[in-house]
Amino acid sequence: MELFAQIVVNGMLLGGLYGLMALGMGLVWGVLNIVNLAHGALIMLGGYAVYYLYTGAGIDPFAALPIAMLALFCFGFVLQKLLLNLIVRSALLNTLLITFGLDVVFTYLAQLAFSADFRTINPPYAGNNFSFVGLTIPVGRLAAFAVALLLAGLLWLFLERTRTGRAIRATAQNLTAARLYGVNPKTIYALTFGIGAALAGAAGGLYGVVGQITPYIGVTLTAKSFVIAILGGLDKPLGVIAGGIALGVAEALTALYIGPTYTDVIGFGLLVLVLVSRPAQIFERA
Amino acid sequence: MKNIVTVAALVALVAALGAVPWLGSAPIVQFGINALLVATLAQGWNIIGGYTGYASFGNSVFYGLGTYGTAIAMANYHLPFGVGLVCGAVLGVACALLFGLPILRLRGPYFAIATLGLSAVMGALVSNLDIAGRNIGLILPLFRGDELFYELALGLLVLATLTVFWVSRSRFGAGLVAIRENEDAAAVMGINTTLYKVLALALAGFFSALAGGIHAYWITFIDPSSAFDSTLNVKMVIMAVFGGPGTVFGPVIGAFLLSGISELLASNVSTVASLFYGLVIVLAVVFMPKGLVDMGGGVRRLGWKYFIQNIRQNRL
Repeated sequence: MELFAQIVVNGMLLGGLYGLMALGMGLVWGVLNIVNLAHGALIMLGGYAVYYLYTGAGIDPFAALPIAMLALFCFGFVLQKLLLNLIVRSALLNTLLITFGLDVVFTYLAQLAFSADFRTINPPYAGNNFSFVGLTIPVGRLAAFAVALLLAGLLWLFLERTRTGRAIRATAQNLTAARLYGVNPKTIYALTFGIGAALAGAAGGLYGVVGQITPYIGVTLTAKSFVIAILGGLDKPLGVIAGGIALGVAEALTALYIGPTYTDVIGFGLLVLVLVSRPAQIFERA
Repeated sequence: MKNIVTVAALVALVAALGAVPWLGSAPIVQFGINALLVATLAQGWNIIGGYTGYASFGNSVFYGLGTYGTAIAMANYHLPFGVGLVCGAVLGVACALLFGLPILRLRGPYFAIATLGLSAVMGALVSNLDIAGRNIGLILPLFRGDELFYELALGLLVLATLTVFWVSRSRFGAGLVAIRENEDAAAVMGINTTLYKVLALALAGFFSALAGGIHAYWITFIDPSSAFDSTLNVKMVIMAVFGGPGTVFGPVIGAFLLSGISELLASNVSTVASLFYGLVIVLAVVFMPKGLVDMGGGVRRLGWKYFIQNIRQNRL
């Protein structure tokens, strides 16, 4: 029983991070109607940014997160403004293809620049843990979980309470009507994609603290983010975090009771199950 | 008259390609086998992605199953190569039917991600099977004969291209295009969309699996990571899209052209070749979303304005 509780806690802590990964993807998907297959690659780039800020400049990983987020925000903004805005109205197949191509470009540029070695962001306190009602809580994972929750809350506040946030939601609901009310969709799209990239950057930095970064982690993380974004709903940041926790717990239990090689199988089994069993609701939104 | 000339030219082209093993050197023949097999994959993707409009990023699964079907039959049961190929094809088509029924109910990005997931999962599943040699893989009986494999690969590509030609002319193909353009309208017109989509995926699975089987016996050693190589998805999708999705010869032209260029680049650094594929797809989607085949006519008609027009149609 204790083992079970411990595994559930581990899964939940990792799941918060999964939720953060999916936040940016869900936002971009909901507002721009682009399923960004390069999202996982952006997470990977964020991971490397924090890794080099930590090992190169000696900045604590959690202090480096805002810097990495800012860098990825600028990157995402420019990418959307100069490239993706050119094809945003074309058929869905084309937006899938172009982000797929970007994923390949980012992956191999990262391999050229950073080599294929496994990297871990390893601050001195990463291995610490403490006991709480008989459960072992790793400090690094708990901090990552807390940051994920914090960012989801901030995103929710931003979308609900600020003028720009309202403009983003208006654009998502009706592009033409938003234009008539003086919203400039080019900038809003670029801003939204930038925020999505910044969230991916934060997720990448945290992922480097609890796991390992290689140039090739992108595809799996993209697919996971997609599953979670659907589980949680595209327009509800806190729902996405809940979706991430659900996937994290499911994966942790699978690793314990069935075998670690099957964790990804469960993730996609869940995806297909959810999609096939309740497609009507999801398609209405898409 | 024009038709006869075209057919004669194509027959001559195939004959010329068929003569390569007796004229070219060993590296050229080996490059040719790879290019022909990947062109077959692109042509298979063309049926489901190009004609039906369902972007599959998991066709490498069928290739991998074809590889394993052939290898298991030959290495574990000592069956001849022909029987092995049949086993591989059966496995590939069975997988397409089995997974096609649930995931072809999904549309657009849902389908794309489900196939992406399938390709990530299948390698993990196979590496847990004893009969497939787990993580270690299987060794097939040794057979040296690049000429035979080259001719087989060429034959398979010709068969795939003829099939696509038939699709483009048939009622079946018209149904697929109708599904691509508007699935609901197609269903209303009386097309059994589920049947059509599953058949399209099964056809793609059939050709991909045969390509995998030929590759398995040629290489004589397979393991999960090489059989379920996800970069194959990158290649086949990019080649088909670059050449012209939903056309008969586009994917083949795209495959030959890109294989050739990437071979030249790979002689320096292999990463550069992969990077090149990514850049090609990004630029192709922006400037020539209808592919090389369409660009040929478009540029003759409009000159460089053709590219401007493509951007103007799709930008915000």
